[in-house]
This record gives sequence, structure tokens and C-alpha cells, in this order.
Amino acid sequence: MGFRILPKEIETLWTLFTGPAIWAVHFLFCYVWAAIYCAKRDQLQFGMVFVRGGIGVATVIALVLVAAGGYLAWRQWGFGVNNPPHNKPTEDSRTLFQGFSTLLLSALSFVAVVFTALPTLFIQACWP
Amino acid sequence: MSDVLDPATETRADTDDLERRRAQEKRLREVWATPGGWRYWTSVNNTDIGVWYASAAFLFMLFAGVLALLVRTQLAVPDNDFLSADLFNQAFTLHGTVMMFLFAVPIFESFAIFVLPGMLGTRELPFPRLSAFGFWSFAIGGVFVCGSILFNAAPSAGWFMYPPLATNKEQIGIGADIWLLGLSFIEVASLAAAVELIVGIMKFRAPGMRVNMMPLFAWYLLIVAGMILFAFPPLIAGDLLFELQRLFDWPFFDPARGGDPLLWQHLFWIFGHPEVYIVFLPAIALMAMIVPTFAQRPIVGYSWIVLAAVGTGFLSFGLWVHHMFTTGLPAISLAFFSAASEAVAIPTGVQIFVFIATLLAGRVIFSVPMLFGAGGLVIFVIGGLTGVMVAIAPFDWQAHDTYFIVAHLHYVLIGGMLFPIVAGLYYYFPLISGKLLSDRLGKIAFWLMFTGFNIGFFPMHLTGLRGMPRRVFTYPPDMGFDWLNLVSTIGAFVFASGILVIVVDVVWPRKKQPKAPINPWDAGTLEWLTAPDENWGMRSIPEIRTRYPLWQEKTLRREVDEGRWYLPDAEEGHREALMTSVLDGEAQEVFRVPGVSVLPILCAVFLGGAFIAMTFEAWWTTLVCSVIFFGFLMAWIWIGTAQIPEKEKKDIGRGVSLPLYVSGQPSAGWWAMFITMVGDGTAFASLMFGYFFYWTIHADFTAGSEAPGAFWPLTSLALFLAAWALMAVSKRVNTSGRTTLFRLLLMASLALTVAASLAGLAGPWFGGMDPTMHIYPAIVWVIVAWTIAHAAVGVVMQAFCLVASYAGRLTARYDKDIHNVVLYWHFLMVTAAVTFAVIGLFPRMV
Amino acid sequence: MLARHAGKITGIAAALSPVGGLTGCAGMQSALDPAGHEAQELYLLFLGMCAGGAVVFISVVSLLIYAVHHQRRVHSDRVVARLILWGTVTTVAVLTVLLTFSLALWPGLRPVQAEGQPAIEITVTGHQFWWDVRYQTPDGQAVVVAANEVRLPVGERVFLTLESADMIHSFWIPALAGKMDMVPGRSTHLSLLATRPGVFRGPCAEYCGTSHALMAFSAVAMEPAAFTAWLAARRMPSPTAQAAGLQAFLSNGCGGCHTISGTEARGKIGPDLSHVGSRETIGAGILPNTVQSIARFIKEPDTIKPGVRMPSFRMLPDEEIAGIAQYLKGLQ
Repeated sequence: MGFRILPKEIETLWTLFTGPAIWAVHFLFCYVWAAIYCAKRDQLQFGMVFVRGGIGVATVIALVLVAAGGYLAWRQWGFGVNNPPHNKPTEDSRTLFQGFSTLLLSALSFVAVVFTALPTLFIQACWP
Repeated sequence: MSDVLDPATETRADTDDLERRRAQEKRLREVWATPGGWRYWTSVNNTDIGVWYASAAFLFMLFAGVLALLVRTQLAVPDNDFLSADLFNQAFTLHGTVMMFLFAVPIFESFAIFVLPGMLGTRELPFPRLSAFGFWSFAIGGVFVCGSILFNAAPSAGWFMYPPLATNKEQIGIGADIWLLGLSFIEVASLAAAVELIVGIMKFRAPGMRVNMMPLFAWYLLIVAGMILFAFPPLIAGDLLFELQRLFDWPFFDPARGGDPLLWQHLFWIFGHPEVYIVFLPAIALMAMIVPTFAQRPIVGYSWIVLAAVGTGFLSFGLWVHHMFTTGLPAISLAFFSAASEAVAIPTGVQIFVFIATLLAGRVIFSVPMLFGAGGLVIFVIGGLTGVMVAIAPFDWQAHDTYFIVAHLHYVLIGGMLFPIVAGLYYYFPLISGKLLSDRLGKIAFWLMFTGFNIGFFPMHLTGLRGMPRRVFTYPPDMGFDWLNLVSTIGAFVFASGILVIVVDVVWPRKKQPKAPINPWDAGTLEWLTAPDENWGMRSIPEIRTRYPLWQEKTLRREVDEGRWYLPDAEEGHREALMTSVLDGEAQEVFRVPGVSVLPILCAVFLGGAFIAMTFEAWWTTLVCSVIFFGFLMAWIWIGTAQIPEKEKKDIGRGVSLPLYVSGQPSAGWWAMFITMVGDGTAFASLMFGYFFYWTIHADFTAGSEAPGAFWPLTSLALFLAAWALMAVSKRVNTSGRTTLFRLLLMASLALTVAASLAGLAGPWFGGMDPTMHIYPAIVWVIVAWTIAHAAVGVVMQAFCLVASYAGRLTARYDKDIHNVVLYWHFLMVTAAVTFAVIGLFPRMV
Repeated sequence: MLARHAGKITGIAAALSPVGGLTGCAGMQSALDPAGHEAQELYLLFLGMCAGGAVVFISVVSLLIYAVHHQRRVHSDRVVARLILWGTVTTVAVLTVLLTFSLALWPGLRPVQAEGQPAIEITVTGHQFWWDVRYQTPDGQAVVVAANEVRLPVGERVFLTLESADMIHSFWIPALAGKMDMVPGRSTHLSLLATRPGVFRGPCAEYCGTSHALMAFSAVAMEPAAFTAWLAARRMPSPTAQAAGLQAFLSNGCGGCHTISGTEARGKIGPDLSHVGSRETIGAGILPNTVQSIARFIKEPDTIKPGVRMPSFRMLPDEEIAGIAQYLKGLQ
């Protein structure tokens, strides 16, 4: 596995929320970015293309981060060698459970980020 | 044990053992006893509070149900005059309000308080007095809100209280104030419950219950409590702005003075949409307990449920604008929320697949809880599908605010919440009374409710698309929905008769009915270890090694009941529970749980009194009640928290010895403070959202004002930073044992805080900002006032620590208080920094 | 996009879908009996979603029934785990298709008015509990003021600006298009394209106070030529045949709130009554436009419409009220 981005022994519940948290930040960015542009567009020098471009860049960054988080989760899950239900009373089993759940959440977050970005492909103005 | 045993000694050993156990049981029983007579109501035991809470919530539901029947009767035929327009408007407003705030949320809190300690394998949740306070606040606030209709003074602006209608004092009388203040009071109780649940689930599980072994109910409740923490504060912030407008004419929602009614809609729905999931997830959590029991096997896809709970929890915060699809916001904004609203259907679907999968992989026993569960699922699927439809913004342009939405939301809430709650009632009733509810009546009730519901609500989809808006007290004939409405009314009454059957079943005297077996459904989880006629919860606290301990460890019940596990005794006469670590459930501390006290009721009564007096603008009464409340609160904290134990460590059995006092990050109080402040921070963020919202909607939101300037805000900011730094240093100084220096630092910090607050007020004060003139001074004042109020609380905490230090209650070793206060100060520092940096610098930057 | 195949699809859908089958007897306020471009597209979208929803519902419920009842053998964990996985994947796929489709449909529904494009513009202002309607002709020359009735030409896109004088109201003609709120302090926009002539009804769709239920208006879609002629006629004052009625109208102070073009009545508080006799309804879509109902409304508006701002005129002799009513009905 070459190098490690994060030490394998991160021991916290919060890693579970990585994917959804990235979705949340991305979503908030898209909303705020577009809302401010649409409210202030008379005073701004740039067009909607710039807004859509910004959302595009943010989406790529978010997707890369979600994928990276997913990879780490996959690693924590032992690359799928062990199947659920990780229900043993051991630290190992608990870690596998966290890995698997985080992986699932990363997948969901990936889809949710893509969904959030979809409108920018179709809607080209503040008002239709 | 030696292999050769003299029969005589064995008997003596047995007898000794039995006697020892009897003595333990006696002591436990005494310690956990519920007081008799009127003092019964001072009980804080989770089983008592849980039952009171649930009963009150059910009563409120019946009340709101009657209102719904009045509404349906009025709408049975066109041009009806059964109710006046005004009474109708009060009835539907109160129906929605009561169902959401006084039934849906509290009922899940009551289930959680009642059943969660057993499920987690602890004796009590960590802050039972807080639960009691929450219940009494809820009961007082609820009676106040409901009672208003008897005086023809109920709120009548719809349960989401849109301004400018609801802020209009001529058209909407005191009802709006009753709504705002009564419910703010209840929201505080909900936040208290959230703190209780999060700390309980994270820190009070049985030893060995790692996060991968937690009952799914606990997983769901953890997420739900987290959602409350982020969802309720925006509403509290909104209520604050709203009440300031109603009482003092601050123009937050008045367009003539720069306000905007849409700000309320944002704040309300940032609360309101997660709210739907806050009531839905706990009900599904009940299903996640019921389904495995009746499929007679562990749940399939435990991790998937965790995915669904966490995923829903997050996504539900990206949906709020779908209640505002027709307000004329930019299409691109609407589309983001449309997309997120579609995405949330994914985790919702996952839960349904998990349940079906578990049923497929098990041998299903079909009984009443299962019937309600499955029936609820069928109804909910329809609600979910119409939800996917209305999440498509263009379709919602037609459906919004029509009976289509009325149908949709009832399909979601009744299928996704009420049916599972009834399932839970039938399932857990033996834990309350030791007896089962009637199978026959349950089935009758189910079929009445199921058919009645569908007859009542399915036609409404059509009614709505044929153009009937919601919230109309009458409609003209021949619009294509005369007979549809009549059918709906008939269905509503059939549905109500089903509820009536349940009521009969619950209140039916069961004196002669034989006791149910202790685990009547043969469930696998720990709550079925608790005996309904004992208050102590678990006789002893076992170490957990499986997800379904009662299925997988056959001897566990005997071991627990014979007191062979941890904490089988209460030698020192204290209520005790085990505090464990977050991830792996390693025992960390013997936590002394506060017991019976009259303080929670007194606090609730006087805080309630303050809120109610405020409604009537009786300022002196408000002040007196607030001061008394504050006094009782201080007494509560002084005698009820951070007590210094009589010894360092305690033997909990099986050769394990644990400390009796832990401070800082592992302690329950620290977590409670942290969680409370996260919620508090969210409310502050909502106010800041308001500030920037006004900036976006105006070309110049300051309306030309230069105030509050940069000097005073930045001075205040610097002073706050200094005060905070001294606090951080003082904690270290205290730990190192230099008591005098510690006290001096506290005093210096206190003085700096006072100076910082005065400097903070100086900006808008000397700037001559009049909050009734325009939203800019109003929003600046409200943010500054918020921060200064928090500084005042900080000063009280500093003074408390000083007194505690002089009283010998806060020392280098016993230092919970200063840890928690410094944690508060971290949050205060962030609040102050954001406040003064923004109001001082932002108007200059744009 | 959808409209091209609209006829064919509607026919098939009406035959297949239970909802489609029920639309035949829907009233003048129905979104299921579309007479406008947007309503048509959304109706078809709805039928499509219903069909998809029915498939999902039947599959899930059959699976559930099978799982709890008619199950001969217990399925292995591996098999049911696959159900969870593929069920989820299917959900994602279906939602992706639906979302993409709806986003593609969106921009065509309410095109914005291009810069300098001449069009009929209507400003509607919501009041408790009535609608002020102002027409701006494409040539930009005249403004015609009316109330509680919106007329528009078939086949021509009309642009509306929506405002509110007091509470939040919502402008909605189900047969033509979706709704749009009227928010105090803001202007919102909507465009309508009627596809067939007819008289439709629009209710207020946002709760706005006591008589929210009694706030509606008529929407009349007319052939373009008829519309142009109607608008031209509205620029002229009404003929004032009933001079006695006008006298009573003015002497009782009605002109303090209402305007009648060509007379001294110039009030701005209540609806403009010029040509009121030619409107489909009175009282904001709640009573048929007859002399009797006008008289009743003058006499007891507070009974007919609780919370209305118009004072009642019970103290007037019936003949006087009848005279005013006749005069108003005569304003064609």
C-alpha cells in the first residue's frame, strides 16, 4: 500500500461522518454561491457561467474528497475481505464495522454530491 | 469452586448468598424507590417520567385528533357553517401545532426515556432531573398552548406561522404569542432531552457494548438527538426575532422597514424539515427493534441501517427550501433542494429493504405489533412515493399548499410515525404494567385505522390536484371535490374509531388479567431484562458480548438477576450507573445519578411562569418568576452536580474497581456542556444567517448607517479574547494547585468580561441605533444582545467557580466545574469573536 | 417537449390510469384538466410518476406480503443482503432518471421574457381578500385596471408580475400553470400560456387570514382577437346609464374605497369596479355576478366574507342598495 494518507489507527466515531460532512459543505457552498450571485448579480462583474464553473470545481473537489474518504474506509474494512455482520465483541470487529459503514456512507455521499451538481448542467439562469 | 463439597457448607453458602442478595436487593430498592403520596410527582425515575411523558403526549394527540374531526366535519359538505371561519382557522392551526410539537416529538422522547436505559444496559440516563424538568416544562407549556382554544384565543395563523399575517397584532391576537412562547419553552425541553440522549447513548452503555453492538434504536436516537441539536436552535432564533417584532415592534419581517417575511420561512423550515425526520426516525427505530423480534433473527444489514440513519440525518438538512418552491426564489436554488430531496429517498429506501430482507431471512410470527408495523410501512411507501413526486419542484408548483400535500404529509407521518408508535405501544406495554394489551382489540383497531386512514386520505390526492387549497374553511360546490371531501370525512371518523379502540384497550382495568411472561415476545435485546415492578432497571449490569444478548447468552438473565454482574449493590445509598467510553464501552467511572428532587418541578414552574407572563406582557411577574427560577437553578447545580465523593474508588464487583470522580473530556458533564453549546452555537449561527440574509436582499442593508463603527466592537473583541485567555490559564493554574493565583485569575477574567460586555454594548448605543427604525439596527442589536447575554452567563459561571473554590467544592483534584466552565468559554470566545468582527468590519468591506 | 405527444399520451394514460379516468368530471379549478402549456406538461409528468410509483408500490408491497406470509422457506443471509444492495442501486438509478428528466423539462416551462420582447404584461396584487389586476398593453401605452378576474389570449405567452399589499398570497390557476406566491416587499414573476379558451377558477393558495377560503378569481382565456377587442373596450369608461345608482354610490362614500372610471369614485382601498358588471363573479370569485348577489354583498359583506375590510351597509334602505347594485351590474 505504498504510503498512508492517514494513520490506520484513527480511533474516533467522527470518521463515520466524513462523507456526509463533505456533502454538507459542498451543498452549502452551491446554495450560498448561487444565492448570493442571483441576489447581487446587478452589482457583479461576472456571469452565470462563472457561477456554474465554480460549482463544477467545487463538485470535482468534493467528489475527490469523498472518494478518498471512501478509500480510507475501504482500507479500514480490510478491502472487503471480511463480510458483515461485524458483530464480535472485539476491537477488530468494531473497526471493520466502522469501515464498512463509512464506506456505505461515502457511496451515498458521492451520489448526493452528484445529484446536487446536476442542476447546474440544465439550469442556466437564476430564473428559468 | 472446590470439587469436593460438603453438602452442609454448600447449603450454608447458598443461604448466605441468598441472604446477601436479599440485603442487596433491599438496599437497591430503597435507593431507587419512588416516593409515595404527593411526592410521587417529584420522582425522576426514567420509568415514571417515561410513562407520564407518553401519557401526556397521547392525551395531547387525542385533543388534536378531536380538532381534526371538527375540521373534517366542517369540510364534509360544501358551504358548510358548522364552524366559523375563525374557529376553523384556530382548529387547524392547533391541530398541526399540537400534533407536531406536543405529540410527535415528545412521544419519541418519552419512549426513549422509558426504554433506552434498559436497552443500553444502564440503570438510568445520566441526568434524570433534566428529564423531569423537560417533562414538566412540556406539560406546562402544552396545557397552556392547548387551553388557549377554550378561551377562543388559540393561534390561528397556521402551524408555520408565516409573517406578516402572524406578526399582525390586529388580525392574530395573543394566540401567536402563546404559540411562540409556549413552544419556545417546549423546544428548550426538547434540547434538554437531546443532551440527555446523546450523553446517555455515548457514555452510559453497558460495559463491552461497543458501537458495533449497540441496539439499532440507540443508533437512531443518537442521530435524532444530534439532529435536534441542529434543527431546533434555528427555530428558537426565529422565535426570538418573531417575538421581538410582536412585543417591541422590531421590524425583522416587515418589508416597509427593510425586513423580509421570507427570513422566517427559511428559519422555520431549517427546523421544520429535519423535524419530519426527527419524528420519523425514532418510529423507524422502533421498527428496527420489532422486526427482528418477530422475524426471530438478528437484523440483516446492521451497517446499512446505520448508513440510513446517518445519511438521512445529514441529507434532511438540505431539504428545507422544498417547502418554499413557490416563493419565487431563483430556479437554481430550488433545483439544489429538489436534488437533495430526491437523494434523501435513497437512505429511506434502504431502511425498507433492510426490513423486508430481515423478514425474508426469518420465520415471521405475525402479531399485533407486526401488523401495525407492516401496515405502517405500506402507508409510508405511498407517502414516500408522493414525496418523491413533490420533491420535483415544477410538479410541486401544482401540488404545493393543496390537499395533495395534506395527503402526502399524513401518509408520511401516520404511516411512518403513528403506526410504528402504536406498534411500539403494543410491543412495550408489558414493560410498563407487566401485562399484554389485547390481541383482539389490537387487530380490530388496526383494521379500523388502516381502512379508515386510506378512505380518508387517499382521495385527498385527487382533491388537491383538482384544485382544493389547504387551510380553507369552506369550498364552493361543483368544483369536482364535493364527494371526495365527504368520503374523506367518513374515513377520518372510521380512523378515529380505531384510535378509540386503542384507548379503550389501554385504559381497560387489568386487575384480573394474568401477568405476561417477563419477555413475552422472546426478544433478544437487553431492555427485556428489566422487571416492570422494580425501579432499579437492571439488577446488576452485565458485560455485553453480542448484539442480541438474550438470544445468544442463555444464562445471562439468571446471572443478572442474581446480581452476579457489576454494581449489584448500593452500599453507600446512592443511585449509581456505569460510565463507559464512547467507542468500545470500557468502564470508566461509577457515576452517581441524581435522585428524587423537587427542584426540577420548581424550575419548570417558574420558568414556565416567566414565559406565560411574558405572553401577557406582565413584565413584573416575568421578572419575579425569572429570578426565582434562577435561584432554584443555582441550588440545583450547587447541590446536584459535581459532588465530591466520600472515597476515590469503588469496587463494582468481579474484582473491578472504578473511580467515583472523573473530570474533563471523559466526564458526562463535559459532554453535556459540549452538546448544549453546539446547539447554542447553531442558534447563534441562525442569527448570523439573518444578518447576511439582509445583506443579500438589499443593495445597502445598513440603510446608510455608519454605526456601530469599528472601534467599540473591536475593543470588545480584544477584551473578550483576554478574558478567555485568562480562563484557559486559570484551569491549568488550578490543576497545579496554586489556589490563590487561580482565584485572582478568575476575578481578573470576570472583570474583563464585564468590561468587554460594556464595550460591546457601547458600539450600537453610542451609534444611536434604534432597533424599531430599520432591520439593520435591529439585527445588530439582537446579535450583540445575544452575545452579551452569553457573557452574563459566563460571569455567573465564573462567580460560581469562585464561590465553589472558597467553599472547598472546587479544588485541584475535584475540578469538574472549571473544566466545564472553560469549555463554555471556548464557545463564548468564538461567539464574541464572530459577533464583533462581523458587526465591526463587515459593513466596511462591502 | 412533452406537448408534441401530448394528445396521444393523454389518451393512452386516461385509458390506463385510474387517475386519468377520473379527470373527466374535474371542475374548472383542476390541474388534471389542463388548458395551459405548463399545466399540460406537469399533468403528463404526474401521470408518468404515478405509473412509476404504482410499479414501485406494487413491487414493494408484494415483496412485503411474501416476506411475512406466504413464505415456504427461509432465505439465506447472502440472498437477502443482495436484495438490500440491488434494491438500493435500483432506487438510485430510478431517482437519477427522474431528477435528470425533471431538470431538463424545467427551463421550458416558464421562459423569461426576453429583453425588448413585446408581450402582454399583467401585474396582479394580492389584498385581503381580493386581487388587483393591471394590464399593460404590448405597445406600452395604456394601463387597464380591473379586479378579481384575469383575462388572457390563447396561444400567446403572458407575463405576470405578482405583488402583495398585505399578507402572503399565492396566485394559482390550476388549469393553466403552477402557483406563485405574492410576498409583501418582493415582486415575483410567472408566465402563462393558455392553450385553449375557457373560463377557469383560481383560488388563493397561501393561507392569508380569516377568509383565505373566500379569495378566488376567474381566469378567462380568450381568442386573441376577442381579447384585443375586450382590452380596447376596457380602456373606455363604462356607460353610466343608472344615474340614480351612481348618485347613491357616491353619496354613501363608496367612492372612498372604489374606483369607477369616468366618475368621481377614485378610491384605491378596495377593488376597481369599472366594468364590474361584465365580470364572471363578484366578491373575489365567490358569488355569481347578479344584481341580487351584489346587493347582498353590499348589505352584509362581513357575513359573506368574515374578516373583510369593507363595512356593511345594513343601515341603508333595501331600495337604495338595489339601486346601487343595479347600477354596478350595468357597468358592462
